[in-house]
Amino acid sequence: MATIESIEKAYIDFVLTEGEQPKSVYVFAKKNKMPEEEFYRFFASFDAIEQHIWTKFAVKTIAEIKAQEIWVQYTAREKALSFFYAFFELLKSSRSFVVYSIKKQPKTFSTPQIFQGIKDVFESFCNDLITEGLESNELSERKFFSNRYKDALWVQLVFVLHFWINDNSTGFEKTDEAIEKGINVTFDLFQRSPIDNLFEYGKFLAKNGGIKEKMGFGNN
Amino acid sequence: MPPYLKNNNMSDNTPKEQNSIPTSKVQRSAKFVTTGFKIGGNYIKHYSKKLFNPEMDKSELNEDNASDIYESLSELKGSALKVAQMLSMDKNLLPQAYTDKFSQSQYNAPPLSGPLIVQTFKKYFGKTPDKIYDKFNVRSSNAASIGQVHQAELNGKKLAVKIQYPGVGDSISSDLKLVKPFAFRMLGMSEKELDVYMKEVEERLLEETDYELEVRRSIEFSNACAGLDNVVFPKYYPELSSKRIITMDWLEGKHLREFLQTSPSQELRDLIGQALWDFYNFQQHELRAVHADPHPGNFMITPDGKLGVIDFGCIKEMPEDFYYPFFSLTSTGLMENKQETIKAFRQLEMIHANDTPAQIEFYYTMYRQMIGLFAKPYITDHFDFGQTEFFEELYGFGEKVSKMPEFKQARGVKHFIYVNRTNFGLYNILHELKARVKTDTFKPHVVEVFA
Repeated sequence: MATIESIEKAYIDFVLTEGEQPKSVYVFAKKNKMPEEEFYRFFASFDAIEQHIWTKFAVKTIAEIKAQEIWVQYTAREKALSFFYAFFELLKSSRSFVVYSIKKQPKTFSTPQIFQGIKDVFESFCNDLITEGLESNELSERKFFSNRYKDALWVQLVFVLHFWINDNSTGFEKTDEAIEKGINVTFDLFQRSPIDNLFEYGKFLAKNGGIKEKMGFGNN
Repeated sequence: MPPYLKNNNMSDNTPKEQNSIPTSKVQRSAKFVTTGFKIGGNYIKHYSKKLFNPEMDKSELNEDNASDIYESLSELKGSALKVAQMLSMDKNLLPQAYTDKFSQSQYNAPPLSGPLIVQTFKKYFGKTPDKIYDKFNVRSSNAASIGQVHQAELNGKKLAVKIQYPGVGDSISSDLKLVKPFAFRMLGMSEKELDVYMKEVEERLLEETDYELEVRRSIEFSNACAGLDNVVFPKYYPELSSKRIITMDWLEGKHLREFLQTSPSQELRDLIGQALWDFYNFQQHELRAVHADPHPGNFMITPDGKLGVIDFGCIKEMPEDFYYPFFSLTSTGLMENKQETIKAFRQLEMIHANDTPAQIEFYYTMYRQMIGLFAKPYITDHFDFGQTEFFEELYGFGEKVSKMPEFKQARGVKHFIYVNRTNFGLYNILHELKARVKTDTFKPHVVEVFA
């Protein structure tokens, strides 16, 4: 009797051995000695399997980091860092599959089909921690922009994924560095920064328009 | 406004691109950065003095230098931090403001985030730190040059856990490549000549990133030095250490600078100074391998007045063909024998095979004087490191020498880099302590005739 896990396993084994997706569900089902409809009970297509595997990576990571004692003490920034480290630690055990799965994606700016599920999970995770960060004033509330913070983190995740699959350093230390530096910069931007102050100063000057003449800085 | 304030402000600016610094300044900062490559600790003293004391000669050196140097160092991070540390070691030679700045450099590396620490533990032990120790503080208590220190507790024992920044090892070689052009300009050496010194530094720095090696050596050295009076070492836990993590006992005490601020008595300062002297000379003359990082931050003074040694990252081993010619020169017997002294200088490559008789005479006189100065504490059985005359004489000589074109190119075997750093570092700490030391406790082994 096939299960989600057994199909996933068989699928991963197939793509890693053959270097490509099975020609059809029929071929795949026959090879694994199950009726084709059994396959459809769990997945609609091969991409659906990959999507599911990716989603599971994120779900597992989140469950794992939340179980750590220290989790409750973490700031939003540290929670994000924690996700990234744990996520890539988890991916290590499936690196071949990850490399295969990412390399076959066409290079476009839109999110590939197989990332739809993980993106939802990741964004809802990010939303939680951003809300938390905004409430504690760790992050700066900015009109229009604060809603986009999660997108910035998703871009980071995709970036680090590509970095990681090309990382040749021992123990993927370079990826650790990329995470540490990248997430810190991202959160530095989320925080109240000189740009906010500059912006506010500009607003102030605009409101108190006539000030130039009064101070004698006019064009005379 | 005092110059150092100005510099502090300047260093807040984002580091400038290197090529925007005028060439002459580059050369000056190069002198600073690469001082470690010059034989003779006098050089560093001279250059630093010259750097910060413009009236000493016509050069338009000004306070911008420190800032430039600092910027170029901060661009290099990692191993450059180490160079900055080497420099800040010579505290009393540099004006306070600059030294403070350099000492800061070791705190400038951004601290590792909590999650990265957790990740490092998971990577090497498969467990999070709270599963390994009873208590673990994710906020670091100190920065080390290539890592940071955390407090932990296990079975009621307070522990210090040192964690290395990721990627330090990888960046060393590339950092040193960056230093290279500076060194070329300053020393006017051929690439081949320079490589010898560079390799030596690279080797030591790479060793420092190997925490497994450090634990092994720490245990070895603390056992070997266990018999010394008033020197204590933390206990190391190899089973709780790995390539990037070291666990050892937490040593209570004050760092040297804090200790000096409590205005300790002469007796106590003598005692600590003696412990330092014994620790170094026992290693040099009995073990022939020495803790080559006499940075004040590597020592603690414990509440019961003992010297605690906490970092064995940098060990310099001295081969026989360096040890005997060099330390034999500290004995008056050899120094009075010109023929044998020249032989020793040849072995140490301070006099080269193709030197003319005039050159031989010149280098013989200069080096004899230089080593004579260095060996002063060894000649008598007591030495007062508090006296400023000795140090002034030392710097004065260094100054004189560095003005001589004959010393533009580097001479001397590669071992001088770390041996000089060690001994001048030691002298400086002792000077800072104003310690009076019995110097005949562990005497150099001397040969008076060379093959």
